[in-house]
Amino acid sequence: MMKFKRSLAVAAALFAATTMSAMAAEKTKVEFWSNSLSPKFDSVMKDLTAKFNGSQSEIEAKWVDVDWDAFLPRLTASLAGGTAPDLVNLPKPWMDDLAQKKLILPITKQIAGFKSNYTEGALKDVTYEGDKQIYGLPWYQVTGVMFYNKELLTKAGVKEAPKSFGELLAVAKQVKEKTGVTGFAPKLNDGFAGWFLYDGLPVVKGGKAVFNSPAHVKLVEAFADAYKAGAIPKDAYKMGFEEQIAAFDGGKVAIFAEGAHALKRTKTDAPKIYAQTGVAPFPLAGGKTPFGGFLFLWSVPKTSKHVDAAVKLGQFLTSDDAQLAFAKASATFPSTNKALADPFFQAGAKSNDPIEKALATAADSIKVTSTLTISGLPDEAAMNKKLDEAVEAAITGQKPAKQALDEAVAYWNEKFSAKK
Amino acid sequence: MKTSSSYTTIAYLFMAPALILMGIFTFWPVGFNTYLAFHDYALVDGTATWNNFAHFKYIAGEELFHSAIKNSLLFLLVVPVIQLAALVVAKLVNSKLPGMTFFRASYYIPVITAVSIAAVVWSNVYKYDGMLNMILSWVGQALHLLKAGEMVEIQWIGDPHIAIFSVMGFVFWKGIGYYMVLYLAGLQAIPAEVEEAAVLDGANAWQRFWKITVPMVKPTILLCTLLSTIAAIKAFQEVVVLTRGQSDTYTALFYVYAQAFQNYNFGRAAAAGLVITFFCMILAIIQFRFFGEKK
Repeated sequence: MMKFKRSLAVAAALFAATTMSAMAAEKTKVEFWSNSLSPKFDSVMKDLTAKFNGSQSEIEAKWVDVDWDAFLPRLTASLAGGTAPDLVNLPKPWMDDLAQKKLILPITKQIAGFKSNYTEGALKDVTYEGDKQIYGLPWYQVTGVMFYNKELLTKAGVKEAPKSFGELLAVAKQVKEKTGVTGFAPKLNDGFAGWFLYDGLPVVKGGKAVFNSPAHVKLVEAFADAYKAGAIPKDAYKMGFEEQIAAFDGGKVAIFAEGAHALKRTKTDAPKIYAQTGVAPFPLAGGKTPFGGFLFLWSVPKTSKHVDAAVKLGQFLTSDDAQLAFAKASATFPSTNKALADPFFQAGAKSNDPIEKALATAADSIKVTSTLTISGLPDEAAMNKKLDEAVEAAITGQKPAKQALDEAVAYWNEKFSAKK
Repeated sequence: MKTSSSYTTIAYLFMAPALILMGIFTFWPVGFNTYLAFHDYALVDGTATWNNFAHFKYIAGEELFHSAIKNSLLFLLVVPVIQLAALVVAKLVNSKLPGMTFFRASYYIPVITAVSIAAVVWSNVYKYDGMLNMILSWVGQALHLLKAGEMVEIQWIGDPHIAIFSVMGFVFWKGIGYYMVLYLAGLQAIPAEVEEAAVLDGANAWQRFWKITVPMVKPTILLCTLLSTIAAIKAFQEVVVLTRGQSDTYTALFYVYAQAFQNYNFGRAAAAGLVITFFCMILAIIQFRFFGEKK
């Protein structure tokens, strides 16, 4: 009898367990991948996920974070294997690539009801040029702000932060001459096309590469001059985000440009440098946008079976409150009009603290920021490589700028005509 | 009584677990890769269409692929150097002196160090204001080759003329311990009497090395040369972490990777991969001719 009772209890427990899991299974499971946010932003992401799940009776979101370097290979492999998540966090250039290859879904229809929440610049970024469809829900964005070492600039006799790009390079040279320290670390290791666009110079026009005009040559030559003078680092091409911060923190570079979040590192690692860090908006050039603007967004992979649920989750993550919570935690900026108007971002306008000041400065710049990227190239990997190698050869003085750009343009046009 | 066919069956049964794993993770991917190389593969819906060798025609005329192959073949320079060095080091640590275990372990540490971590260290060695240039500057100044305060500023991984050799230096450092251990095993299989007899006959260390050690570890040389040749042709990780393919260090597998994961062109990547395999096989055949046992 005892035995019978016990087995009955076990059966009942089993039954309860299966029905409960069956009930849970009725919820639509939506997996979403963020991009390199763990472990720094674990708490805000977990919080947002829990809030979303609490507000939904039919959808259950599961958050996964994937590292920057592993992101594309892993996403590509999962798309090929049919196991891709329902929502992925992409930077704008990747969105263009994936939209071009039709690996993510247009969500123009789904977003129509609430797209006016987002800023105009952000909406422009999530629209793929090729077919004018919207492929993403705008999320956080950053923009370049100029940070400078006040002591070095004073020593060099520079009274105020440069106001144009030409002035910036001139100041960099002056700092090198007077103090021996490298003046300015431009971001070069992500490719040079962005610098052309920053200067308002087209890279491709009417299906042809056009980056060998006198204006393009002049821009590359300006970099080459600065390189030769030692005004920009000898290993500028080896410097990414981490290396630039390290060089600035070590007093080896006087000026660099990044988002406000970069200074968090300086504050903890190099308090002396932090105390004398000046902040100014990155000067605008012909492209009417600061360099270093970058928008992250949420897209729905082609293989998703729960598009509506995924968009619902994306809408929640990019809502005013959620964006504000994330922006505050990460020193980045939201992409909705209402969240951006929050007094939080202007609080530091008069502050002497570099991070607060940087946030307020960037909040002004962000309104005119767009992501500088080109898309729709037939053989992107090879073409970008050719362009970057040509410019590197020109900047480091191995080839005249005109010749280097001519060669790259010829290579590009060959690829363009092979496509037809 | 057991027949020979039941022995065969049992032999296959013993091999089955390994064969099944290899089938799933090696043979099947190789086969599918070969299939993809001749097709246009659409990632969107997973369809593959026969394309009449279009990928091979494309890479045959692709300047970037040519320079990638050239760089991968250039990487072969590391093979003889690392083989000879590993053999010599193995010979050195094969003695019975106290503390040898320490040296054996130290040479092996780079092998088990994660490539990404080792690369962070090595990029600080190779930086233009890094350790290597600093040491060279000290030496130069001590020998009065440089003026006081003058620094060596070589861009070890930034200058396209030398970057690939710097990466090879990294590969050498990372790999030598691995081959050393293989050679050590080979050396310990040499009976002590042979060497003793040679000593009695008055052979010096140089003669013993070339007349006894080298011939007797020949099978190990074949194995190690094969392994390091394949590793050299496959050079990729080291390049990604040190130079990201910049400064003329773009290797063949980097091309494959970029085609697959930047261009999403799996067919073309597969075709390029197949061409690289072909190079590996040719080299393997040559090496078997050179070092293999003559029958």
